[in-house]
Amino acid sequence: MEMKSEDELVEEVLNGNHRSFELLLQPYRQGLLNMANRMTGNLEEAKEVCQEVLIKVYKHLDKFKKGRSFKSWIYRITVNSAYDSLRKKKKYENFVESQKKIGFSASYDPEKQLLNREIRAKIETCLRDLSPKEKATFLLRDGEGFSIEEASEILKCSSMSVRTHLSRARKKIREQFEKINFANTREVRR
Amino acid sequence: MNCRKVQSLLPLMAGSEIPKSKILSLKAHFENCPKCQQEYDSYMLTLKKTKEWLAKDRIDWEERDWQQVLKRAIKDKKPEVSPLVYWPFKKVWAYSLLGMLVVALTLLFIIGPSITQKEMGLGSEKFTEEQAQLFRSSPEESEQEVVSMTIVSKETGLKIVWFLNKNFELEVKE
Repeated sequence: MEMKSEDELVEEVLNGNHRSFELLLQPYRQGLLNMANRMTGNLEEAKEVCQEVLIKVYKHLDKFKKGRSFKSWIYRITVNSAYDSLRKKKKYENFVESQKKIGFSASYDPEKQLLNREIRAKIETCLRDLSPKEKATFLLRDGEGFSIEEASEILKCSSMSVRTHLSRARKKIREQFEKINFANTREVRR
Repeated sequence: MNCRKVQSLLPLMAGSEIPKSKILSLKAHFENCPKCQQEYDSYMLTLKKTKEWLAKDRIDWEERDWQQVLKRAIKDKKPEVSPLVYWPFKKVWAYSLLGMLVVALTLLFIIGPSITQKEMGLGSEKFTEEQAQLFRSSPEESEQEVVSMTIVSKETGLKIVWFLNKNFELEVKE
């Protein structure tokens, strides 16, 4: 089968071809879900973020500039949607906290679907102290393999800023990694 | 290069995000500083392991979920297509051009008629009493205050004459 370029697929979607939309997104479906999942730390929330991303992509596809990287564009939308989700979550958690303080019973116990619990727990520990921007920079560079320039395009900041965030993120991750290693060594000694 | 400076560069050196010349000078520093070398090794190990973990823990959509998400996204029959989709330049230029066009048209409507009047010598400031006289066929006409309108019925031949004042209000003549 002849492989169509992303620009051609975009054109077809704009002409109302739904099948082309699926073909256009197929290479990124896993990457988007993983990015959203790591950013939000919750699979259900990540799926909601992806849903929002797909709606935005479909709705604003005419704004995509041909000749530019579709991958960078779609990841930018994902990162921004994940930021929004985190902001909403923070508001919700603050609300729950305030409800608890004034005596209401509010429970927030999200169901976690883990494929590999041990590894997942380690990743979560490593990413715990990272700010959303540091997390996004680290995941784009070390998780998804984007170059510094691509990451700067996605995050809409300078490559210097990407380097700064990446450096901070790796420093924090290393601290957490040392703790995990130390705990593991102690376990082995026992 | 001192240890402090070296250590600030280690996180980026681990991912090869600094120039080769700097990497060489950092490696030269490591030869005399085992502590920095140890730090660097630790960064390398962290990066290697985290990359491994991230690769191992990759999840994918269940086909049913993915189809559902796609279906919801394309709920509308067609994506919104902006009228500027084929505009080859920056969109802000199109908006600026449109704005300028609106201003130009507005000015044309405001200034245009007065220019035409001026060209015809009908400008308000030039429309003197002498020129006004030219448009009047007789001196009496200028004083005309009443207009008459005659309506004749075809069938009966009945003739009705209306007298209207200058404001086109019906005047009743006794």
